[in-house]
Amino acid sequence: MDAMTSAPAVSGRSIEFTGSLREYLPIAVTNALLTLVTLFVYRSWAKARERRYLWSRTRFIDDHLEWTGTGKEMFVGFVIVAVFLGLVALGFNFGLPAIALHYGPAAAAVSVIIFYLGLMFLFGLARFRGLRYRLSRTWWRGIRGGSDDAGWTYAGKSVGYTLAGFIAAGLLYPWAQAKLWNQRWNKMSFGPLDFEAHVTSDDTRGAFFGFWGALIVGNIVIAVFTDPNVVVFGPGLPRLVVPLLCYVAIGATYLNYLAAYYRAAAEWTRIGDIEFRLNAEFADWLKFYAATVGLAIVTLGLAMLVYEFRKWRFVTAHLEAFGTVDVDSLTQSQTHAPREAEGFLDALDIGAF
Amino acid sequence: MAEGTLYDGLTAQPHHVRAVAEAGRLELSQDSGWSDSVDPALLQRIDAPRGMLRLGRSDVPGWRLTVPAEAEAELGALLGKRERYGRWIDRVGLVPALVIGGAITASVVAIGFLAPHWLAPHVPMAWERKAGSAVVGDFGSMRCRDDKGQRALETLVERVAPGATKGPDAIKIAALDIGIFNAAALPGGYVVVLKPAITETDPDALAGILAHEVAHIRRRHVTEALIRELGIGAVIRMFAGNVGANAEQLLALSYTRDNEAEADADAIAMLKRAGISPKPTAELFTSLSRDEGDAGSSYGTEFLQSHPLSGKRAQRFAASFNPRTHYRPALSADEWAALSNICGSEQN
Repeated sequence: MDAMTSAPAVSGRSIEFTGSLREYLPIAVTNALLTLVTLFVYRSWAKARERRYLWSRTRFIDDHLEWTGTGKEMFVGFVIVAVFLGLVALGFNFGLPAIALHYGPAAAAVSVIIFYLGLMFLFGLARFRGLRYRLSRTWWRGIRGGSDDAGWTYAGKSVGYTLAGFIAAGLLYPWAQAKLWNQRWNKMSFGPLDFEAHVTSDDTRGAFFGFWGALIVGNIVIAVFTDPNVVVFGPGLPRLVVPLLCYVAIGATYLNYLAAYYRAAAEWTRIGDIEFRLNAEFADWLKFYAATVGLAIVTLGLAMLVYEFRKWRFVTAHLEAFGTVDVDSLTQSQTHAPREAEGFLDALDIGAF
Repeated sequence: MAEGTLYDGLTAQPHHVRAVAEAGRLELSQDSGWSDSVDPALLQRIDAPRGMLRLGRSDVPGWRLTVPAEAEAELGALLGKRERYGRWIDRVGLVPALVIGGAITASVVAIGFLAPHWLAPHVPMAWERKAGSAVVGDFGSMRCRDDKGQRALETLVERVAPGATKGPDAIKIAALDIGIFNAAALPGGYVVVLKPAITETDPDALAGILAHEVAHIRRRHVTEALIRELGIGAVIRMFAGNVGANAEQLLALSYTRDNEAEADADAIAMLKRAGISPKPTAELFTSLSRDEGDAGSSYGTEFLQSHPLSGKRAQRFAASFNPRTHYRPALSADEWAALSNICGSEQN
């Protein structure tokens, strides 16, 4: 059959979200009601519905995205993981006292360390497979993403990098986070094209040190001001206001780091000829989260129903893509489409990227 | 006829096609002469922005046909019902699903709420005793061990609940050298009284307190609270003997307001049978409620607490006082002197 030789020229933004609250609200409300009356079983279907809507209202260049993940596969994934985690917890509760009883406290301590390392490994695996699952269910122009990697190597490395991040009082954290971002995304693909990620901590280190410093100084100040033995400008207000200001400062510096991290992650990740930019600055993130908290308070929490919508709108409004897609060479992904969903990710409540 | 864009699922290349519903099938064609005929049973609706109708094929992953929404009038007949909330919800409809689900959820919550009350009487006392002995064992060094004092304490329990300290399900009473005004019933028939509850009261008021705690044990309120707060798993762990880690939780158990009221009613009846005046207990609660008042609480907070405000409890005890009854002291002066001395000799 004949193919159109040139893709229609698109003016303006390459990524555009056209969803509206008026369309989304009925989805959010019925999702919440059904989730409540089904003892949270419906949650998986609610997530699938929510994503189908958000994806389908997101245009990339000239076609809208599509989410093909189903509630059923997510629910099955969740059940498998819930049973598995239940067994792990059972083993921890009963196995550990037994080990302590039979082999002594040293053996118990070693078991605890192994247990936590195992959890970190699973956390890394979940993160990798969650991303792989999401890409494999995301379609654009009839092509999907995915990965041929099962994530075992990534999970092992994530344990190493996370531990390294803890060493040196957490100062290596931005380096570990950048490395792990690259490790995950370099294994992902869309159609025949591989993602390439080269994030370094060069762009995030400064912001992280700011957060790190605020954390240390803030905690010292809080400790001083809340210590009843220390007299500070008389009793009363400073005891309350100064620690509160410290928490705000710590939160703000963390947000500043997150802004830098996501900006760098977008800038140094590419696929084919497409490059990305996330132009959300610290002030944008601050506005977004302040609005989230404010709306939640004013509506007594009801605004959280549309939080995912607002977050998606925020990210898509600030994310831009540049370059051209060679649609002839963008053929169908040959990666294995995973059958398991993001159950583990879901159970551990890990974020999207 | 509708003009639209087709992706074949093999490449991202869009193809311009005409779509027609003909003889119950979807017919696609291009000027080049290419054509295809699709069985409508394979067609699926796919979410799309307003103004677009988007179709997929269950047998070809990535096959996508996008036509203007107006084509719905012609192609709609070929398509099945749109999946809205998920097949299992769509089958019954949103409103019936909400009603049925609501009823199921309400009954599950109700069972969860009532189960402790129903289950408590069926938990073997032997399980509870294991837990209780483990807890009291933890208080080894804090326990007040004066023999005469201990005997007086047991005499007092026997006064309000004759026979309670004997037999396999005996109530085991212990005084602890802890400086908080309190008494508590623990799993396994243990009742602990903390030192100020002995040194800052009189025998009649202490009798009222003990009667209240004995009532909690006899009504299995302790087991009920255990199930409610720690879950059925905790009771089974108790059976397995793994209690040490939970000792602190056991001490922090709280009862429902109904349970408290029931224990108060039992205590009033026990005092009456024993011929002990309820007045000192009422006065004790009055003074406690004055302390609560100092702390800034009010009648409004009664609904927030598991313990009914002491003021209300004081009224119930006071109301049971009968001026024509000849009340006898709960303990003799000698016994009370011994009991006051149970934790050592420096006071009273």
